[in-house]
Amino acid sequence: MDLFINLFINGLATGMLIFLLASGLTLIFGLMDVLNFAHGGLFVWGAYSGIFAYTWSGSFIVGILGAIVTGFVLGWVTEKLIITPVYGNHVQQILITLGFMLVLSELIKVVFGPNGIPVEVPSYLAGSWEFGEVILIKYRIFIIFIGFVIFGIFQYVLKKTKIGLIVRAGVMDKEMVQVLGINIKRVFLFVFMTGSAMAAFGGMLMAPYSGVIYAEMGMEYAILGFIVVVIGGMGSFSGSLMAAILVGLAGSFMAYYVPYLSLAVNMILMAIVLIFRPQGLFTNAKEG
Amino acid sequence: MGQEKYYSLKNVIFLIIIIALIFFPYVADSRTLTILMTQVFIFSILAMSYDILLGYTGIVSFGHAMFFGIGAYTTAILLSMYDNTMMIFLISIIVGMIFTGFVSFLVGLLTLRLKSHFFAMLTLAISGLFLVVAEKWRTVTKGNDGFTFRAPDLFRDRVFFYFFVLVCLVVAFLVLRRFVTSPLGKVLIAVRENEQRTRSLGFRTLHYKVIASIVAGVVASLSGSLYAISLRFVNTSVMSMDITLDALLMTIIGGVGTLVGPIVGSFVIEIAQHYLSGLANDYPIFERWIIFFGMLYILVVIFFPKGIVGTVYVKYLTWKSKKSRPQQPKQSVPLVKDKERLE
Amino acid sequence: MMNSLLKLDQLQTHIGQYHILQGIQFEAIEGEVSVLLGRNGAGKTTTLKTIIGLTPASHGKVMFEGQEITKRKTYDIANLGIGYVPEDQGIFKGLTVEENMKVAIRKETDEVCEKQAYILELFPDLKKFWKKAGGHLSGGQKQMLSMARAFVNDSKLLLIDEPSKGLAPIVVEKVMEAITEMKKKTTIILVEQNFIMASRIGDTYTLIDDGKTVHSGSMAELIGDEELKRKYLGIG
Repeated sequence: MDLFINLFINGLATGMLIFLLASGLTLIFGLMDVLNFAHGGLFVWGAYSGIFAYTWSGSFIVGILGAIVTGFVLGWVTEKLIITPVYGNHVQQILITLGFMLVLSELIKVVFGPNGIPVEVPSYLAGSWEFGEVILIKYRIFIIFIGFVIFGIFQYVLKKTKIGLIVRAGVMDKEMVQVLGINIKRVFLFVFMTGSAMAAFGGMLMAPYSGVIYAEMGMEYAILGFIVVVIGGMGSFSGSLMAAILVGLAGSFMAYYVPYLSLAVNMILMAIVLIFRPQGLFTNAKEG
Repeated sequence: MGQEKYYSLKNVIFLIIIIALIFFPYVADSRTLTILMTQVFIFSILAMSYDILLGYTGIVSFGHAMFFGIGAYTTAILLSMYDNTMMIFLISIIVGMIFTGFVSFLVGLLTLRLKSHFFAMLTLAISGLFLVVAEKWRTVTKGNDGFTFRAPDLFRDRVFFYFFVLVCLVVAFLVLRRFVTSPLGKVLIAVRENEQRTRSLGFRTLHYKVIASIVAGVVASLSGSLYAISLRFVNTSVMSMDITLDALLMTIIGGVGTLVGPIVGSFVIEIAQHYLSGLANDYPIFERWIIFFGMLYILVVIFFPKGIVGTVYVKYLTWKSKKSRPQQPKQSVPLVKDKERLE
Repeated sequence: MMNSLLKLDQLQTHIGQYHILQGIQFEAIEGEVSVLLGRNGAGKTTTLKTIIGLTPASHGKVMFEGQEITKRKTYDIANLGIGYVPEDQGIFKGLTVEENMKVAIRKETDEVCEKQAYILELFPDLKKFWKKAGGHLSGGQKQMLSMARAFVNDSKLLLIDEPSKGLAPIVVEKVMEAITEMKKKTTIILVEQNFIMASRIGDTYTLIDDGKTVHSGSMAELIGDEELKRKYLGIG
């Protein structure tokens, strides 16, 4: 039972990190239908700039803020320079965002050096609580908490606020939203920037969790993010959350019980979902 | 009318290029360049096979590397298990093709029912599983460490191998061109333009898409076999996402749905990679040459939105129509005469 | 008082390589209902779309309240007080009636709230299905919701494209009543194939054929002109 709880907490924390990354993709890929392969690049830039701000100021909070600001700024640049010319054209989106991804992750090496950088958990989040055999690592609990908070905020904004309504309406019918007097380009820019900031935020939180940051981490996690968005059902936040947790838990349990399959677990999950429920595991919609 | 002239500008250009390529190894007289061009040809074959999916059928696959990898492993395993003779090599190509044909048939049936994004992600998943199998089935594949093997003796001569691959490229090009201009290829283009409508015309589009996937898979397997020979080594990287992305990028950069485009794309990417990484030795600023590589992609999208060949072709067409506009009355004269004769 | 609210001067529009509008001359007088008549494909819908900026004009001018709006963006034009009800109603299917209205409302002032209450009296069905998803409404209810959305802000001009299309006669009657009611508060440009409906609520007419204005005048004149009706509308 203790083992079960430990594995569960591990999986949940990993799942939440994946969710933070995927939440940005849910906006950009799920809602706006943009195949943004540079998303992983924003994730890495968030991690590096956040850690830079963290070591410079000594405050983890400042680090997080730094990451989010970087995400917003880079999101603005990406949308204006890279995405605007290719809205609605998937083939060109793949090429241009992959190109930008290369630029982003190589620039990391130029600015911060080619070697990985070790990262420590801030002192007040370090350590663990122990209850008998159950070990609760503080930072993991912190991540799980943050994950649920972010999920709550997004659900609230999308369902209850005017801007959320406009985003949902804009995804259904871009033209009609403009007819009603709304500058959809500005709304989409804002959505894109928010998605990028979420990626950067996720990268920053990931850094102390994995203990080291390196330029290549972006692509690995971006693919995980795409998997989660697809499994959860395009554009559904609750779907992404559940899928991310599922992926996290499956990874954690498989790594312990059937280690030789742990590499394949995400792929198997995605294959099963796509074959039997292509509209996504956690959506009740008929569109697929 | 309508029949392609054998002395058309296009065919003349092809002929010139092929002649140039035949003399290339003797003129260049550089081992490195010959090997580089061989590499270009191998990836041209792979990218052309990808173009059948992306350009002619309109589907984005993220799993093309598995067919390439199957070809590479089949050749490597057979050559190391039996003798390193030409015969075994040719057999391994055939075996690889048959095996990929079978796999792409099954995978196609399973995946092609799905719509764009979902199809792409499912191919990613399945090829990911193949990669894991290659990594875990160490008794046969030696996992990520890979293994070396002896190629047939004839291939020790790099120039001979160059010509062998060039012949493969030309044959693959001609076969694929025949394929896409055949009635079957026309249906595929119709699927790309509007699958719903094609289906309502009575075509079972899934069948056609599966056929396209088999053709693409089999040709990719050929390029994989050649790739294994060129390295005389194989490891799991032949199944990796990078191979798929290379094929995809070469196709898009060259121009989708053109068949020539992927060849141009492969040339541009391989040469750029070679020279940019070479520059790094001389100029420290090129140490991060991949940045320039990434910028190349971005610039291609902005300045060649239809890929290099596609954009040049459109420019050529508008130039031709502008040039021929004053001649239009001339063209209509014989038409009138025909009419008179009929009367 | 014959105040001109909107004026189209030699309007031309291309869509792709097609030259759809080839010279539209038109004027909408404040407080009136102007009806655009013509065959299918004559360019009536494109005229409305060009006014709202969805298919920008390639030549000519669109003047609204004396200022030129030809080159403005759709959302800019809408914010000047022009509402558009497209042929397919453009309802956000996944949003409820309430949410559809919320997206449309620019600023929740007292005035707008009052107007919304007034509109809900005009269309009691909307009130009844306030929490229902837009995609589940009937054709008539969608039409009403779409008109309500366009009308709820301080709209000076409403562009309505074929409101009677595909509706049962009894529903058409309801829609007509509503338009007659809205006419008291705003100016309306109506595209309508149903001539009986058009002749009952229109003050003026403009006949469009092959992308050009061919005739315009008061509705009363057109009703008496059998020749014109036969030639361009195929009736009489």
